[in-house]
Amino acid sequence: MDWLFLLEVSLAGLGSGGLYALAALVIVYKATRVVNIAIGEFLMLGAYVFYAFATGMAWPIWLAIVGAVVVSGALGAVVERLTIRPMLGESPISVFMITVGLASILVGAVELIWTADQRRLPEFMPRAPVMVGEAFVAPKVFYGFWVAVVLALLVLVVFRYWRGGVALRATASDQGAAYAMGINVPRVFSLAWVTAGAIAAVSGVIVGAIGGISSSMGVFGLSVLVVVIVGGLDSVAGALVGGIFIGLLEAWAGAYLGGEYKLLATFVVLVVVLMARPYGLFGTREIERL
Amino acid sequence: MKRIRIGSGLSRLLAPLGLAAALAAAPAAQAAEDLVLGGSIPLSGVFAFAGQGIHAGITDYVKIINDQGGIKGRKLRYVPEDTAYKVDASVAAFKKITSQNKVNFYYGDSTGFSKTINAELNRTGDILMTGASFATELNDPAKYPAQFMLGPDYTEMFGILLRYIAKEQPGAKVAFVYSDTEFGRDPIASSRAVAEKLGLKVATEIMTPPGSVDVSTEVIKLRRADPDFTIFHGYVLAPIPEFVGQGKRMGLKTRYMGTFWTMDNSTVMQMGEDAEGFMGVMPYRYYYDQAADAPMLKKIREMRPQYQSTGYMQGFLAAMLFSEVAKRTLDAGKDLTAANMKAALDGIKDFDTGGLIGVPITIKGNSIPVGRIYRADVKQKQMVPASDWIVLK
Amino acid sequence: MRIATAKQTYLADEALFDTRTQHVWLALLAASLVLFPFFANAYWLYLACLVAINIASATGLNILTGYTGLVSLGQAAFMGLGAYTVAVMELHLGTPVLLNLLAGGIVAMLGGLLVGIPSLRVKGLYLAISTIAASFIAHFIFANWQFTGGTSGLQVPPARVLGMDLDTSFKIYWLIVPVTVLMVLGAANLFRTRIGRAFIAIRDRDISAEVLGIRLLRYKLLSFGLSSFYAGVAGGLWAYFFRVVTPESFPLIMSIFFLAAIIVGGMGSILGSILGAIFMTMVPEFLKLVVGWLPVGGDALRLISPVRTIVFGLLIVGFLIFEPHGLAEIWRRVRRFFHLWPFRT
Repeated sequence: MDWLFLLEVSLAGLGSGGLYALAALVIVYKATRVVNIAIGEFLMLGAYVFYAFATGMAWPIWLAIVGAVVVSGALGAVVERLTIRPMLGESPISVFMITVGLASILVGAVELIWTADQRRLPEFMPRAPVMVGEAFVAPKVFYGFWVAVVLALLVLVVFRYWRGGVALRATASDQGAAYAMGINVPRVFSLAWVTAGAIAAVSGVIVGAIGGISSSMGVFGLSVLVVVIVGGLDSVAGALVGGIFIGLLEAWAGAYLGGEYKLLATFVVLVVVLMARPYGLFGTREIERL
Repeated sequence: MKRIRIGSGLSRLLAPLGLAAALAAAPAAQAAEDLVLGGSIPLSGVFAFAGQGIHAGITDYVKIINDQGGIKGRKLRYVPEDTAYKVDASVAAFKKITSQNKVNFYYGDSTGFSKTINAELNRTGDILMTGASFATELNDPAKYPAQFMLGPDYTEMFGILLRYIAKEQPGAKVAFVYSDTEFGRDPIASSRAVAEKLGLKVATEIMTPPGSVDVSTEVIKLRRADPDFTIFHGYVLAPIPEFVGQGKRMGLKTRYMGTFWTMDNSTVMQMGEDAEGFMGVMPYRYYYDQAADAPMLKKIREMRPQYQSTGYMQGFLAAMLFSEVAKRTLDAGKDLTAANMKAALDGIKDFDTGGLIGVPITIKGNSIPVGRIYRADVKQKQMVPASDWIVLK
Repeated sequence: MRIATAKQTYLADEALFDTRTQHVWLALLAASLVLFPFFANAYWLYLACLVAINIASATGLNILTGYTGLVSLGQAAFMGLGAYTVAVMELHLGTPVLLNLLAGGIVAMLGGLLVGIPSLRVKGLYLAISTIAASFIAHFIFANWQFTGGTSGLQVPPARVLGMDLDTSFKIYWLIVPVTVLMVLGAANLFRTRIGRAFIAIRDRDISAEVLGIRLLRYKLLSFGLSSFYAGVAGGLWAYFFRVVTPESFPLIMSIFFLAAIIVGGMGSILGSILGAIFMTMVPEFLKLVVGWLPVGGDALRLISPVRTIVFGLLIVGFLIFEPHGLAEIWRRVRRFFHLWPFRT
């Protein structure tokens, strides 16, 4: 048993798991009860906008990141206003299908503007290899992981202590009561989507920095979706735990079984978890009423 | 009150359909004299950069031939359709083009399409086909009698690379890194056998899921195997830069190589400094090659002042060979059936491609087993030759 | 205005097509279906066959998602099961075409039953995502099992009926269209029976349905099974039509295509599946036509594919926001207008 190999693989898995967790931050669901299958495409758009700013317009990297975050947040607000708001009160399946359509629109738009070629983002992360003891960790994955952890902690804190975060949670648990308490529910929705867009942009930039960008980057969103479901749709802690779990699992499956088993392992675990705990590991049980 | 019986039925459905049918079904009026070259071209989608090049290459050569008066007085007409590299779109394009024109030659955009359409080709028996694919499976004249490829097949490409490795460093360790697609898996099993025959050790075979973002696990596996040479296949660009970049930073001593579709100058140079020393096999000369015996390259540079990709060269060669086959078949007084055209193609020996390929070519089976090893020179930002022209038996 | 439709027997009352006008139009439709292949060129025949296959599969999906309310993103995987079964049987056993199609349907049905088992515990969106899992697991099996030809897939010889090879679109039209018509009629009839009504009850409120005595697991499984049977037969027809089956032939995007087709057409109505399948299959062709007319030249070719993707997404979003009951509802509105004319309501 090659322990060093296992350690290295596990570290790689932790890194990618952190990325999943970041992208899976369940802000959107928490406030608006919408599962956004287009999260991968939001990621992609954030990465492409960063590419456009950093390469096309030659802005400094930090400015390009800020620009990407702003544009992505704006996109989140626009999407929410135009497509999600009219669907208030409709069945969640319909809204889910809207996000499916949205994913298609985003992919088409990216292909139209930038073509479907794969591109590389400009290098901006430190390139020296990172050694944890004797184990090697890819530097991009390492730094990406820490960014993800910081952002996740930030989100957790915001949810608990900031008034806006409390408003988000209140809207999620009972819209009617939130209205009654004077919470500006439409504004809360917009805020949720804007934040989701912003965080997606950051994840997109990191993911793009690691593997390059292309119009089929959105497939990353499927793994994120699995993480969200496994962790529980309305639990941030679930997203973190789920992300790390799925990241490790994929890394081990890829290393010991072969590259083709990665997605298979992920989905098999999904089915098993759903059978055991239908609302995810940390999700709250939905009580259906007649 | 009058009883009005307006259609409650399907007249509303049939009328617009009928109108659309009438509009679109009228076949384009064409001169019976024209020779038609149809194409399922990936003008958009993941293969778009190659598709645009192929499209430009075919268009340019068709123009050259028509400017010279056509083939025995008959003009060559190029009818392309975009497929976004999807097999069913390719098939649909094929059916559309063949129902509206009398097609003599066809260019297919993928291995999948070439295999799918084979039965139909053999049934109609009057189209000669080539395409973007160099799949080993297609290099079988018995199973694919109406098709050929514009270079060595993928196993032959691996063979060229492995022979180079065996000469440079006998008994070296090689690693295969390939993508989990039909394109990627095609040559691996047969190349493993070739490597073993040449006395090389296949240290590891790493398959990456298509569209995978993070290859850190695979890079770790590569590091474990510690090969002397790593051959990539089944990719256009990603994830090669990640492998090469992380590998170099880890201090891996392996040298990196690729097959045809990874060898375009613009994609390799996107790797930046890491591209230095990247090698691979290519059957064509590059756009910027200033060799003296390459009049066609000079002509291409006149027609197109910016860099043209390897896909352009392939499209150009396709149109060139189709024209040559048409000329020889018509010269022999034969009809343009697939069998006659394939026979004419097989008769092509020591054909001068005008410098596109550095040596006169002969078709063997369904492929042109010729190629040269190139190396990336980052200072010049060009791929430069690293060996002579190799002709496989 | 529709008048003189009083019925005198229960049988007549329950009939699917009960007025003379409908009978006349049905006869015209049948006649046009029979005459179409003699007047259409190869391209239109190809499209007609493709549309028929899509109608069959969309009808199946509508049974599951439109009528029973169980969202499934695994329709393509079940089609793949059917297609591979047919391919394997045709290649290795050489059994007759109809038997192969039936076997394809049954294998897909078994797959559907398997996927449906979690449906009691797992609801709504979670179920949809577990069907995505089924899609990937099926793809994995197809790509990695030597029996199914691995990544190169299988090449299917043309179907042999009465000693004749069905190798052109013209010939295979006569296999695909009758099978599709049969399946669509079957589905329409299903919803006159208590099984169909049970499905609708489950969609509307499954807890109430259970209180009413409908055994949830049994009927949900039945719904999955039926819908995947349809998908399996459609997949088998697909295999005979395209004659090559590879793991890449049935991607997740195809399942999304079918879901979009029934959303656009109208969930919960047979006419919706037909209209939706026709519409979604013809839109890319129509787009190509439109772009061909525009005087933009060669570069327009490059734009077709991304525009098609955008239009696909816009259709889904547009119909969901503005016309959630789909094309079928538009159709019904127009029909109602003419039925009630000169009255408004």
